[in-house]
Amino acid sequence: MMQVPGDIQIIKEDNVTHSFCGLACVGWMYQKIKDSFFLILGTHTCAHFLQNALGMMIFAKPRFGIALMEEGDLSKNEPTLQEIISEIKADHHPSVIFLLSSCTPEVMKVDFKGLAHHLSTPEVPVLFVPASGLVYNFTQAEDSVLAALVPFCPEAPAGEKKVVFLGSVNDSTADDLRAEAEELGIPVGGFLPESRFDKMPAIGPDTVLAPIQPYLSRVAVKLARERGCSVLHSLFPFGPDGTRAFWEDLAREFGITIDLRDREKAAWEKIRKQTDLLKGKKVFLTADTMMELPLARFLHNAGADVVECSSAYIIKKFHARELEALDGVRVVEQPNFHRQLEDVRRIKPDLIVTSLMTANPFVGNGFVVKWSMEFMLMPIHSWSGVISLANLFVSPLQRRSKLPAFDEKVWLEGVMPSAQ
Amino acid sequence: MRLAFWLYEGTALHGISRVTNSMKGVHTVYHAPQGDDYITATYTMLERTPQFPALSISVVRGRDLAQGVSRLPTTLQQVDHHYHPELIVIAPSCSTALLQEDLHQLAAHSGVPNERLMVYALNPFRVSENEAADGLFTELVKRYAVSQKQTAAPSVNILGFTSLGFHLRANLTSIIRMLQTLGITVNVVAPWGSSIEDLGRLPAAWLNIAPYREIGVNAAAYLEETFAMPSLCEAPIGVEPTMAWLRSLLEKLNAIGAELGVPSLTMPNLNAFSLDGLSAPSGVPWFARTADMESFSNKKAFVFGDATHTVGIVKFLHDELGMQIIGAGTYLEQHADWVRKELEGYLPGALMVTDRFQDVAKVIEDEMPDLVCGTQMERHSCRKLDVPCMVVCPPTHIENHLLGYYPFFGFAGADVIADRVYLSCKLGLEKHLIDFFGDAGLEYEESASSEEVPVSPSDSNKEVSQTGVPVTSEPPVLPEDGEMKWTDEAEIMLKKVPFFVRKKVRKNTENFAHGIGEPVITVDVFRKAKESLGG
Repeated sequence: MMQVPGDIQIIKEDNVTHSFCGLACVGWMYQKIKDSFFLILGTHTCAHFLQNALGMMIFAKPRFGIALMEEGDLSKNEPTLQEIISEIKADHHPSVIFLLSSCTPEVMKVDFKGLAHHLSTPEVPVLFVPASGLVYNFTQAEDSVLAALVPFCPEAPAGEKKVVFLGSVNDSTADDLRAEAEELGIPVGGFLPESRFDKMPAIGPDTVLAPIQPYLSRVAVKLARERGCSVLHSLFPFGPDGTRAFWEDLAREFGITIDLRDREKAAWEKIRKQTDLLKGKKVFLTADTMMELPLARFLHNAGADVVECSSAYIIKKFHARELEALDGVRVVEQPNFHRQLEDVRRIKPDLIVTSLMTANPFVGNGFVVKWSMEFMLMPIHSWSGVISLANLFVSPLQRRSKLPAFDEKVWLEGVMPSAQ
Repeated sequence: MRLAFWLYEGTALHGISRVTNSMKGVHTVYHAPQGDDYITATYTMLERTPQFPALSISVVRGRDLAQGVSRLPTTLQQVDHHYHPELIVIAPSCSTALLQEDLHQLAAHSGVPNERLMVYALNPFRVSENEAADGLFTELVKRYAVSQKQTAAPSVNILGFTSLGFHLRANLTSIIRMLQTLGITVNVVAPWGSSIEDLGRLPAAWLNIAPYREIGVNAAAYLEETFAMPSLCEAPIGVEPTMAWLRSLLEKLNAIGAELGVPSLTMPNLNAFSLDGLSAPSGVPWFARTADMESFSNKKAFVFGDATHTVGIVKFLHDELGMQIIGAGTYLEQHADWVRKELEGYLPGALMVTDRFQDVAKVIEDEMPDLVCGTQMERHSCRKLDVPCMVVCPPTHIENHLLGYYPFFGFAGADVIADRVYLSCKLGLEKHLIDFFGDAGLEYEESASSEEVPVSPSDSNKEVSQTGVPVTSEPPVLPEDGEMKWTDEAEIMLKKVPFFVRKKVRKNTENFAHGIGEPVITVDVFRKAKESLGG
């Protein structure tokens, strides 16, 4: 056990959950930064993972690929990527190539920084992105991508006080956030990342960095250190509660005092049907995307009984406000899945928010689940995302109540012979 | 080092987990970084397992490496404590294989009794999915099968059926139904649904059925060598191969029966194998002779896949549907010799052996076959080229993990394959009508819609990933038409070709022009091409 400001206890189990590694970030990052190419220096395992997780994307001529290390490459001191880089340039004409590390070359202690530097040209920089599962959870590799982009964000001059939103969201969510900020009188400097490599936002000493995803602490720290910008410490803009705090706190950074109490109330009112259903429901979050803290906070404020909120990594300072808001909730870092399984069977939660690996087996054990990854792929930010967010939790509960009774002895027979 | 986008075979770890996930009471602990856990999702998402697959990760983090800590002993203790498996198989991943740890010693530190542990430390850089699965299964059979008395009545084991296998359940059902019809008992099915005790009972059967070249044949060979059990290693794909398979099965069993003084099994009337017991067991022989299938004699097929299905499907298309085989290939180099031998006389050229899907796509693009039978990857490649394609073997997509009974084996399997061929290919008379008179009114719609491109947010932009998670993708990129120039008049002439074969005609004409050294396609060249190609 350890203590954090506000007396919140975090249970650290130092164990492993079912989740993906950082390479998964390629799935959304290559689509976000449209003139990029993501090259992973990895093995058969990395390739098999990506084709299973992102299977179809090959269909659309994806701008990602694996520089496949085969047995003969293991004895070489330095991987020779020049030919592969030329092939990528000829076929895809990217403005930037991100070179992602993976477990095997990291075990081999490949000098990625030197390698990327060596492959870079002024026309097409090659940027090293530490992404291996030895260190990072799957959403955290976005943090590494954004950190690699920092040198390509122009310096904003002192006195240029603007907000830069930190985190990749789709264009329509970005438009909403920008419009909302402008309406509040907050000047917008842009987003990190923007959807083109040459359009990255200017960041300087008077930039206010507003993180909109909870897994981007390292790039925030890096920018504060290197550019002297300030970082907003608020709730993340999910749900009426988080959204209000986010905008009020952000406005305050710009000397604007606003009171969004009524707006928050109206937003809760809009999802009253959903929150009525969530009230008192026991919800268990098993740890996957690192979005667990803000999701649990929304559920908690919506009246649900969050029986466990587990997350792969909890960064005390970056997550401080969310942790405060979770006072009284059981929060676990790097949980032990074997223990979670026993707790789930004992506590019998009404809803489990969990990874792709564990969702169906929990259902088979009689529980109602929601894929945690869906929260990353749905527009749940700010006011316009409130209904989507609430519905994501409510739809599996409603759906289950609409289906007829299920006799597992009958309907699961032979489905998984090894488990019988 | 090479640039890879997609691979046919999974990793060694994937192969190992396919075997252990099939079995009762066997748990795999993979000593690996977090990312290797994706293999759990392949079972929970593709097979929709209602229980947790018996797979745990002994996680390796950067910090552990720096501190020289291994979590393997504690992970083994936890797995033993929580799940009480009869056997824990310990496997390294790509990255931990490089650490050169002594997994035996680390495992011994767990305190879990040695007889319940099995370190299966393959070199993941050398061994892939199928070889690992087959190797582990054979090891398990060697470890547990014990000599014993044979069953009194004729019985068989069915070997090689493994988690995530292609149409696994339906194929198994098809085989079991045929065995029931013949009055043959199934002693053990393995690894699918078997326990360690079941592996012990393997030698009680009279014979082993091992239809998959990839997994099970080596275990059958071991059992033959050690316990003198004969084996039947053909795959009953197609009507004639199924009949031969049944005859061979009876022959082998009756030879044993004669020694044991057990009455001979006889082949029943073939209608006994039909679903209602009153009909022909398969519709294929009649279907293949009908007039509407006549057009299939001109259809050209290309087959690419694993060993078992490449062989089975080539023979089926050629022997039973009378199609032309323009080529075939496999991504399993270790089985290429066997495939070559089996397909002697069937292929116009050499067997293609490659694990690069781009090479396969290139062949398809150059040949523009009327039907491609392949893997999920060929399905993707063919969709880009608008070539009919059916998936006949792994690797598969979640679309190949359906609920209905769609075997590829046995009489019922022949019907399923023929139906898919029929549905995949462009049709007979209907096709003539459209070819001859033009476009069935569709041309108008096409040209109208083509003016609206490139931004058409159609359903095809929204694909589903292999594990079923919806993901948005960019619109499919159309293949480039090459550098060949067409005169305006030739283009107008090309427009008169029905639009759904236009791409193929364009390609064929360009190939023809290239062949005769014409740099530009004029009306004249186009006419010559039509004459020469019979278009």
